[in-house]
Amino acid sequence: MTDLTAYRNAARAWIESRIAEFGRDARRGLSPAEDLALGRRYLRAKYEAGYSGISWPKENGGQGLSPTEKLTFDREEILHGFPTEYFSISLGMPVPIMLRYLPDGWKQERAIAALRGDEIWCQLFSEPAAGSDLAALRTRAIQDPDTGDWVLNGQKLWTSWAHLADYGVIVARSDPGVAKHRGLTYFWVDMKAPGVTIRPVTLAAGDAHVNEVYFDDVRIPDAQRLGPVGGGFGVAMETLIIERYSATDPAANGPSIARAIADATRMKRSGRALIEDGRVRERIARNFATQAALAAIHRRALLSLEAGTQPGSEGAIHKLVSVRNRQRLSEFMIDIQGVSGVQWNEQATRKDDWATSWLTAPTGRIAGGADEMLLNTIAERILGLPQDHRPDKGVPFNEIPG
Amino acid sequence: MSVLFDEAQLQIADEAQRLLTAHYSGERLKTYLLGRGTFDRELWALFGAQGWTAICYPEAFGGLDLGLLELGLVAEACGAAVTGVAALTSSFALGQALLRFGADEQQNHWLPQLAAGSAIGAIAFGEGQDMLPDAPALRLEGGRLSGMKPAVTAGGIADAAIVLAQGENGPVLALVDLAQPGITRSLLDTFDNSRCTADLTFVDVEARELPGATDAPAGAREILRLLAVIVSFEQVGGAQKMLTAARDYALTRRAFGQPIGAFQSVKHRIAEDYVLVELARANAIHAASCAGQPDFGLYAAAARISATEAYDGVSRDAVQVHGGIGVTWEADLHLHQRRARTLSVEAGPLIFWEDEVISQLQGAAQ
Repeated sequence: MTDLTAYRNAARAWIESRIAEFGRDARRGLSPAEDLALGRRYLRAKYEAGYSGISWPKENGGQGLSPTEKLTFDREEILHGFPTEYFSISLGMPVPIMLRYLPDGWKQERAIAALRGDEIWCQLFSEPAAGSDLAALRTRAIQDPDTGDWVLNGQKLWTSWAHLADYGVIVARSDPGVAKHRGLTYFWVDMKAPGVTIRPVTLAAGDAHVNEVYFDDVRIPDAQRLGPVGGGFGVAMETLIIERYSATDPAANGPSIARAIADATRMKRSGRALIEDGRVRERIARNFATQAALAAIHRRALLSLEAGTQPGSEGAIHKLVSVRNRQRLSEFMIDIQGVSGVQWNEQATRKDDWATSWLTAPTGRIAGGADEMLLNTIAERILGLPQDHRPDKGVPFNEIPG
Repeated sequence: MSVLFDEAQLQIADEAQRLLTAHYSGERLKTYLLGRGTFDRELWALFGAQGWTAICYPEAFGGLDLGLLELGLVAEACGAAVTGVAALTSSFALGQALLRFGADEQQNHWLPQLAAGSAIGAIAFGEGQDMLPDAPALRLEGGRLSGMKPAVTAGGIADAAIVLAQGENGPVLALVDLAQPGITRSLLDTFDNSRCTADLTFVDVEARELPGATDAPAGAREILRLLAVIVSFEQVGGAQKMLTAARDYALTRRAFGQPIGAFQSVKHRIAEDYVLVELARANAIHAASCAGQPDFGLYAAAARISATEAYDGVSRDAVQVHGGIGVTWEADLHLHQRRARTLSVEAGPLIFWEDEVISQLQGAAQ
């Protein structure tokens, strides 16, 4: 038995021992506050069991292991629907990036509090006029020449879990007189500071985990800057690639193929099980083939990591293909239910309900890299095709025609 | 379990690519396309000399005792070069049937010849639209074969074939030496004549059951799955070649003052094609690495679906990206268009493999 197999077995045993308390069934019917509290208890238990910050250095509260062990644990963990979503961004990007830039002491206290689920960090990047084109952001950071403090004014949008967050990392425009990528600076902020206003944005399916966040004369000391003045875009890109590769679900967190087979076997049309219909068979079989390929790509990426090479395009392929695949299958599975297909269950999750999966799928094709941006990435970085024509290239931000 | 290729495997792949790229000639391929019953004999001799025909046989038969991954990598190189000979895969299928189900003397007679490339094999299971007919029209009675098998790949050039026939007690798999009186090979006109596809008609011809194939439909299905995986690699090779052709052309051809690859309608089409190729490649490798395991059939079917989607899709798009030049006889893209459809059909069409996926997923659920 290899070390990794032993690690996987131990992780699986621990995870399985937690299912009754924290698994999908345990969460059913909980209020948002109760579910968050359950999530905090799960993180505490995970920290105490030594499965938090698996690939982080020990001095930052981690376990000092490699990304392979982390992926191995995550792969087992995502099977059970544990309440980890409140913490995944926090621990995936903002906390690791502040750990890279801040001096020792305070940052380790924050990191451990975040690992234990006591504190949450959010990531304040997107704005109403800056999504895929992040460098077009308008939130201003103006430095007070006397104190060196910075004053933030502006609006962020789509900030996941901002309403629960204790801290955040933010990119803002410190110099509008230079080309857009060069005039940005990166900070951390206290989300409870005066002048920070958080309003939930309800998404199409009725859930409200994203927010708009307003900054009105929010004053922060220069010590909260991460990276050089004008170097914010680079730190933002560094933030986004900290997790070079993460555990993936070929079903993109939608219902599984096994579920599609079971549903199509149970439902009948003119007395005949729908799974006997060639159209149903074709859709499910092709969807399965694509999911099987994504799973195979994932396993080979893990093997590459173990062998010491960095994965390449696997993450982009997974995101591009899996959500689209889920969206199409969910539409189809609603369709074959006939008139019953329109039913909506407020309590259902995207993992166990076709309608919820379908209505939430568009978010997955936009958030964290829209399909079109992923295609550009593949075309430019992997295939060496030309960059898009960019009329704002090299133009000072304040001279770009609005 | 999927795998990363090891040094020896990468070396086989490099060598196959190098030799087949050097051998490629669009002009010669077109002569095989046009001429019924002709194929690339020179290349076939190279296959034997390189040991590619010997990959999947035990050493006792002159084989190299390697596996589906190694043969798959050679098939991938063949796909990229649209090779003018169908025998690598057709012989492999016959050889695997003999290895699994053949009598000792059948193995001893044929396997060394197949491994050396001195004999060519074919399989003939399908009839009409059925890849695996429940009650084949071809009959085997008292060791004599009568009837017809339509559109057999390499049927025009094969020395031996395994047929799925109706025996006295149900379907059987039988080996027939094609150098016998009473056999008529009618070469078909196809859009890829290098495959030497032929109708085989048998009138009271000697044939012998494979004693190990006690459940003939299951045995035939197993051979089709093995064939499907190797053909999937060949399809991946062709698809990758078309992807590269589209990318290269999009970088050099200019319109409206810039390379056409700078337009998102072109660039995103090519990026989508890249994804199709990577999905197909992953499934082919995964299926090959599952050989001998209970879920091999499921992943072989998935590999076929992805590979067919990729090769058809990418060759279609590559022509589109090339514009007018893409539809000409000179540009060679039609060689891949033809081969893509040919491989899709020969090793079982999508509807066959989709049914395979569903029936196995249903089996897993029970």
